[in-house]
Amino acid sequence: MKNSKSKNFIKILVTVVTLMFLMPLANAEDTWPVKGNFANGAKAWAENCTRCHNTRDPRELRDDQWITAVYHMRLRAGLTGQETRDIVTFMQMSN
Amino acid sequence: MKFNKMFRYLLYTLSLAVLFLPAISASAAETVAQSNKSLQQQIDELNRKIDEAKESSAKPVHKHESSDSLIHLAGYADVGYVNGESNDGSFGVGSFSPIFHYQYKDLVMLESELEFEINETGETEVAIEYLTVDIFLNDYVTLVMGKFLSPIGQFRQNLHPSWINKQPTAPVGFGHDQAAPVSEVGIQFRGGVPAGPVKINYAVYGGNGPALEENGGEIEAIETPGLNVDGDGKKVYGGRLGVYIPALRLDLGASGAAGRAAVWDPSVDPVTYERSRDYQAAGVDFGTKFFGIDLRGEYIKQTVGKQAASVAPEKAEWSAWYSQVAYVISPINTEIALRYGAYNTPERTTNRTQTAISVNYLFANNVIGKVGYENNEIPNELNPKQRVDNRMLVQLAYGF
Ligand code: HEC
Repeated sequence: MKNSKSKNFIKILVTVVTLMFLMPLANAEDTWPVKGNFANGAKAWAENCTRCHNTRDPRELRDDQWITAVYHMRLRAGLTGQETRDIVTFMQMSN
Repeated sequence: MKFNKMFRYLLYTLSLAVLFLPAISASAAETVAQSNKSLQQQIDELNRKIDEAKESSAKPVHKHESSDSLIHLAGYADVGYVNGESNDGSFGVGSFSPIFHYQYKDLVMLESELEFEINETGETEVAIEYLTVDIFLNDYVTLVMGKFLSPIGQFRQNLHPSWINKQPTAPVGFGHDQAAPVSEVGIQFRGGVPAGPVKINYAVYGGNGPALEENGGEIEAIETPGLNVDGDGKKVYGGRLGVYIPALRLDLGASGAAGRAAVWDPSVDPVTYERSRDYQAAGVDFGTKFFGIDLRGEYIKQTVGKQAASVAPEKAEWSAWYSQVAYVISPINTEIALRYGAYNTPERTTNRTQTAISVNYLFANNVIGKVGYENNEIPNELNPKQRVDNRMLVQLAYGF
């Protein structure tokens, strides 16, 4: 039992470390404050934001609130980082 | 003698002071006047700035100065009324579920949902529905750690909030301690990858896993509240792979989990666990939209294997499925949703088939009034189709 436990732990560790090595990808370009593409954002919004629930009106939230809301949805919907930044930009320019 | 000298010196100083006092106060008055003047100038300046600010705030301001840390409060709540065969009409508060978001740049996010509910004796109960720290490792992978909604299936993680659910209740079998796993405490990686015309989304996780509730020599339920301690010392691993085809507006998903789980006795302190046994979960789900029709469905099951050393040695399986079709009649902001589902358990009397209809008025896209009717039956009973607890439900749901 102890053995399988430590094996699992090693499995997790290896995965985490591998992923950590992929991290520089995220920091390759400066992505903060969010700079996305409005047109791509409009498309990604239309494609993704009605999959699970009614559309939320861009005017509902302030610019800063749209950042956290769309990053939350990035996790829910499995959006890529680029799609997320594009949608944030679209929301911020449409509210 | 000495005292006398000192006294005279004091008197001398004092009289000098009295002589010069007018001069001193005059210069003090001058200083005061000067500072008054500069204060007045500052006040004028401020007034001008306020006037300027007033003018600019006449138009709506959505903009914010960019900051590295962000805070956002979201969430949902619902209130309602139920009238059923086992309930002679009650008003009720469903839940108040505030969600807290804290974000540092595009590196990390903390998301936490609390759930406040009023129980039958009028007391308020609080639970942490989820609490995770999410690290955005790169554009395609996010590490999620803490207590999260089970990535198995779709209803529990993405459709249960009352402003999203198109019916006042969860489909039969998709509630707590039923066929669908609810929460997990562990580590998860999730994200999305574009693959030509389709988008792939995924979640893989490892966690403490469920505990098994035993009653009368049988396993009564698989409990998945998100256990904070791995009592049996055996983890459960699983995930969901989803494909989204934008051209067809079609979401497809397949989930699975495997590991071990044990019968527990939570009534003793410390909680005790039996020897563990096999545990498995599996599910498939779909969702699509065409001509304004919203169609979705899901099948989910959880199984536990045999364990000869257990007070409940037999294996057991819980499964449930539902399908729902909904349509919004836009001119009158009204939505009609129809759902059919079934729940199968090891104990025949808890099996159900359920037909539900709800007519929803969309006050706004996130503020929904629902009037629903639910027909629940025990299938395959000799006494043909025994009806149980059919009910009428009214609900006002607000997602904020
Ligand atoms: C995979 C399903 C899914 C998709 C796709 C999705 N959402 Fe959501 N959304 C949810 C769920 C579930 C919640 C409720 C969150 C909760 O209760 O934990 C939610 C909540 C929200 C909220 C309320 C604030 C919050 O963060 O809880 C907003 C705003 C929102 N979504 C906007 C969007 C936008 C914009 C998109 C498109 C990028 C989107 N959603 C796509 C599932 C989804």
